[in-house]
Amino acid sequence: MSDSKEILTLAVEIGDTLLRSGGEIYRVEDTIMHILNAYGIENYDIYVLSNGIFASANEDKEDGCSIVRHVPLGNVHLGKIAAINQLSREIVAQTCDVETAWKRLEACRNIPSASPKTACFFCGVGCACFCYIFGGTLWDAGFTFLFGMILKALLLTMEKKKSSKFITNILGSAFVTAGSLILLNLGLPVLQDKIVIGGIMPLVPGIALTTSIRDLFNGDYLSGAIHLIDALLTAMCIAVGVGSMIILYRTIPGGVILR
Amino acid sequence: MITQFFVCMLACLSFAVLFSAPKKECLLCALTGALSWIAYLVLEPAVGAVWACLFATLFLTVLSRIFAAVRKSPVTLYLVGGIFPLVPGSGIYYTSYYFIMNDMEMFAVKGMETFKIAGAIALGIIFALAIPQKVFHRSVKKKQEPE
Repeated sequence: MSDSKEILTLAVEIGDTLLRSGGEIYRVEDTIMHILNAYGIENYDIYVLSNGIFASANEDKEDGCSIVRHVPLGNVHLGKIAAINQLSREIVAQTCDVETAWKRLEACRNIPSASPKTACFFCGVGCACFCYIFGGTLWDAGFTFLFGMILKALLLTMEKKKSSKFITNILGSAFVTAGSLILLNLGLPVLQDKIVIGGIMPLVPGIALTTSIRDLFNGDYLSGAIHLIDALLTAMCIAVGVGSMIILYRTIPGGVILR
Repeated sequence: MITQFFVCMLACLSFAVLFSAPKKECLLCALTGALSWIAYLVLEPAVGAVWACLFATLFLTVLSRIFAAVRKSPVTLYLVGGIFPLVPGSGIYYTSYYFIMNDMEMFAVKGMETFKIAGAIALGIIFALAIPQKVFHRSVKKKQEPE
């Protein structure tokens, strides 16, 4: 039997990875609890927020210990969530001792995200398809594919430079809108609004919204509120980006054709 | 309709890849998304966008939970992959567009509609999550993660 400190560290590290990849609060709490139970710790307390983990174990005994962890809001990585889920199942089934668990956790953490090129390509495909199903023509879809790819490249670059999320969203949606307006101005037969709707799909806070609803539903009001604010502000940024470009287009000469 | 189904599937598939879903589950993510989009399209003329969204989300979440029980993976995986067609991206666009155009009447209409759709999605997920886990376990008749 390993000491409580090591077990607690393992459990919190697993929870940390899960939270970072976009797992819901109750899932993180549940996972940590199950792992601690599986390794025979009975006296524990866990409090998880959307950007932090607080945990203590065996506080009333000799080997009492506690951990506070700050977890910044990260990128959603569904693959890691699935992998950690599998790992925690095995731990609960007692088929995995602490040492193997550490190795498995390390493996889970190293699951790669899609490479930049793949990400750009699929972002383009996704945008184009959404443009099409929301009523765009094939022409629109083609242009949206192009915009989607460039948009993803833009987002990846900005992420690397660690620019603020607000600026990224405003610039991203402004870029798509500007592109579509240029096409319109060139006299091409495009449905400008459909291109924008398809193009902003990667920015729309769908995941933040669903996570926040699920957190609220599970009674984690604080975490739910954090994600909800995140979703609302992102939506607002998109609106600002789109709106500013339309205003700009209307104020420069030649913008009359928009109406 | 069939074209819509496949295009939507491709769209959801791309977004699943974008969020690094495991390769084996990508197709199921796409399937949940496409099926719920079709549900939305079928219902929309009959009951209006908001109710259609509510039922489509309900359908989506139930479907995700069934897949999650069968494949023993987290529900989030399928839910996140499939929610994209329903999220009111166009609502956000039109709302801000009419606001900028100073068309306050249309702004209010679109804004309210977007807000209602977001609420409908929320309610749909909540209702479907409220179904006890046992129902899904029994339907697949397998041992499932301890809840």
